[in-house]
Amino acid sequence: MTATDRPAGEIGGAGRGRTAVAVFVAGLRQYARTPVLLAMLAVFPAYLIVAFSRLTPETTVPLSVPGDGTEIVALSELYAVVLTPMVGALVGGLAGLFLVRAARGADGRLVVAGASSRALVAARLALVAAVGVLVAAVGVAAAATTYVPERPAVLFGATLLAAVNYGLLGGLAALVVDRLAGVYLVLFGTMIDFFLLQNPLADDGDLARYLPGHAPTELAVDGGFSTAVSAAPALSGLAFTALLGAVTVLALGRSLRTS
Amino acid sequence: MATTGTGRATADRLTTGTAAHLRSFLREPVHLALLVAMPPLVVEGYGRAMSSFPEMPFVSTVPATLGRVNGAVFAAAFLAGLIGLFQVVAARRADDRLAICGFDRATLLASRLGAVLAVALAGAVVTFAVLRWQVTPEAPLVALGALVLAGATYGLLGILLGAVLPRELEGSLALVFVADLDTFLASGLVDVDTALVRALPLHYPHELFRAAVLEGSVATADLRGAVASLAVLLVAVLLVYTRVAGGDHA
Repeated sequence: MTATDRPAGEIGGAGRGRTAVAVFVAGLRQYARTPVLLAMLAVFPAYLIVAFSRLTPETTVPLSVPGDGTEIVALSELYAVVLTPMVGALVGGLAGLFLVRAARGADGRLVVAGASSRALVAARLALVAAVGVLVAAVGVAAAATTYVPERPAVLFGATLLAAVNYGLLGGLAALVVDRLAGVYLVLFGTMIDFFLLQNPLADDGDLARYLPGHAPTELAVDGGFSTAVSAAPALSGLAFTALLGAVTVLALGRSLRTS
Repeated sequence: MATTGTGRATADRLTTGTAAHLRSFLREPVHLALLVAMPPLVVEGYGRAMSSFPEMPFVSTVPATLGRVNGAVFAAAFLAGLIGLFQVVAARRADDRLAICGFDRATLLASRLGAVLAVALAGAVVTFAVLRWQVTPEAPLVALGALVLAGATYGLLGILLGAVLPRELEGSLALVFVADLDTFLASGLVDVDTALVRALPLHYPHELFRAAVLEGSVATADLRGAVASLAVLLVAVLLVYTRVAGGDHA
């Protein structure tokens, strides 16, 4: 019995895996076919981090670093580190938004044809994560032109976490608002979350702790300026991602089955 | 007589086109929500977020007020930019077909511009009203004019990006990264004044708005800079839209 002979929803685990891989690979090929987009995904994050950290005046600020107490760091170094997860979130959010918007029609038809909605959602989210990996690598490399972080791998992880969190939020936004409102929310959300509320120069407010940018920013500051990285932000960030991921998988899967 | 008739026909097409684009924008409830609900959220969001910053040596303004001023410029500019971008991206094929049918490409562009400027004006008025709730501008008319300039500038930038990068994701990426750097550097959180910063689209409208709200002054140099930026963008849009965006098909 082939996959197409089965009624919708009866494809086995191996079939779901094959569908997810095929859709993921097709998505990667689609990205590869649009070199302008790939170039933008690499150039824009680097441009923002490098331009902003280079333009920042030469001044120092006190920074509370876990394990190391308060350190005096250059403002340009601080922004090189803090902006890296922010650009990850920005690109991840836009990728999630447009990926879900563009794929919903085709994915809905694939579900009618018998494909597993969970496999399709998993493939789309994996594509968002792939974009996150690219942006995180570019972001850490761009930040290193101004300041080499104490633990680049932690800064990479923080940026990937931010990209995935906002990618999931972008995917959810695609279900309820159109592209114009979605792009507006992604830009406003990342800017107010990362640049204003999570900014290490600001007082740590109550609201900031519950936002998706909190764990990635804490992790980025740890990885940027401390050799002793605390596990707490990584754990809370992953818990947040797991919760958000579950909500997104449910919402996207449901939307595919009912579309 | 024939010239008058042609002129009237062009005016009719322009009015009809602008009204149609505006209707299609306003038909979406979420767009109305963006126009009405986002300015309060952005202005107050920026104000509250900035209030948690300490006072900086190079900033003489209370951080919360500075945040509201920054938020107002962002709210007025970015919505117009997005509308400009998506107006062009979504309408590229339709406008190409209309151009083949004999519609003048400049008239098509003017109708798009009319709709973008109308939304920019409405966005500026709503944003200004929101700002006045917490901050009393020293020179209100100049402040409102600066917000309209910010909206018009980003509206043109959106159209330009939409014509050059006719896919949604690429255009959005370009617009948000320009807006990000623009907003950060104009935020007052860093004290930067370089040629690159002055070349950013929001630099002069932002300076004009800040001076009008906080000092009640009209900085003539900033006004000139803002109008010059607008003029340069307008020329670029005219060139790109008529030559690149389907001009070869017409």
